[in-house]
Amino acid sequence: MGTPCHFALFDLQPGFRIDLEQLAVRYRELARATHPDRFADAPASEQRIALERAAGLNEAYRTLKNAPQRARYLLAIRGHELPLEVTVQDPQFLLQQMQWREELEELQDEADLAGVAVFKRRLKAAQEALEESFAASWEDPAQREESERLVRRMQFLDKLSQEVRQLEERLDD
Amino acid sequence: MAYSEKVIDHYENPRNVGKLNAEDPDVGTGMVGAPACGDVMRLQIKVNEQGVIEDAKFKTYGCGSAIASSSLATEWMKGKTLDEAELIKNTTIAEELALPPVKIHCSVLAEDAIKAAVRDYKHKKGLI
Repeated sequence: MGTPCHFALFDLQPGFRIDLEQLAVRYRELARATHPDRFADAPASEQRIALERAAGLNEAYRTLKNAPQRARYLLAIRGHELPLEVTVQDPQFLLQQMQWREELEELQDEADLAGVAVFKRRLKAAQEALEESFAASWEDPAQREESERLVRRMQFLDKLSQEVRQLEERLDD
Repeated sequence: MAYSEKVIDHYENPRNVGKLNAEDPDVGTGMVGAPACGDVMRLQIKVNEQGVIEDAKFKTYGCGSAIASSSLATEWMKGKTLDEAELIKNTTIAEELALPPVKIHCSVLAEDAIKAAVRDYKHKKGLI
């Protein structure tokens, strides 16, 4: 790959359970040090390098901060790259996703903020359960298929939580 | 990103939104999802004694292109035999809806949903 591992950039050991606090602190330090403004008077070639480093840093931070992206990255550096655009057939899980989305639609129609709060707690619990399972399985090559399924499920819940946040913002207005 | 007129039409007036009884032996259900964009698609068909799809319904949570792709898929499936329905290609859907390259995967999802529904029906009937 030529570029250093995202984890090494932040002085972290590759792993699913990482110290998010440390990640954020280290990110801010590095972002200050590599900020393109600091190179405003430098030659064009150095400016370009600074810009590339800043972009790489942001990309690494975005990837590690987000649980499903971190999980997908971990599998990738272990040589198991998951394609981004893929169709999954995970009937029970998808059925539940459909039900949750129907519920969310009702909450939106009724502008039910209290209901949204309950929904959010349940979603959070489901995300934590998936993350726990992934943390326990991803290093075991025998559980590769299961790890992949868990990443896919995490991705769905991540999208859903974004939608919940957007709904909250709309209802708050 | 600008949607094509056909996408907007299907998005604003989706055809065949709804649900068929998944327990009905004449109904096949396909459930598929795209994890990166969080889309979830359910496509169902009801097949008559002649092996012709007499009804098709869908429900999609996703972007306009995913909704339009599945809406169009149900429209095209009605009146077709199972074998004919299985020949519906994502490229034809994408072309009809003028989907941009970044939205091609929505039409792939619709094609996969068609195949999943047909497979579910055949499985129920002991055909596979």
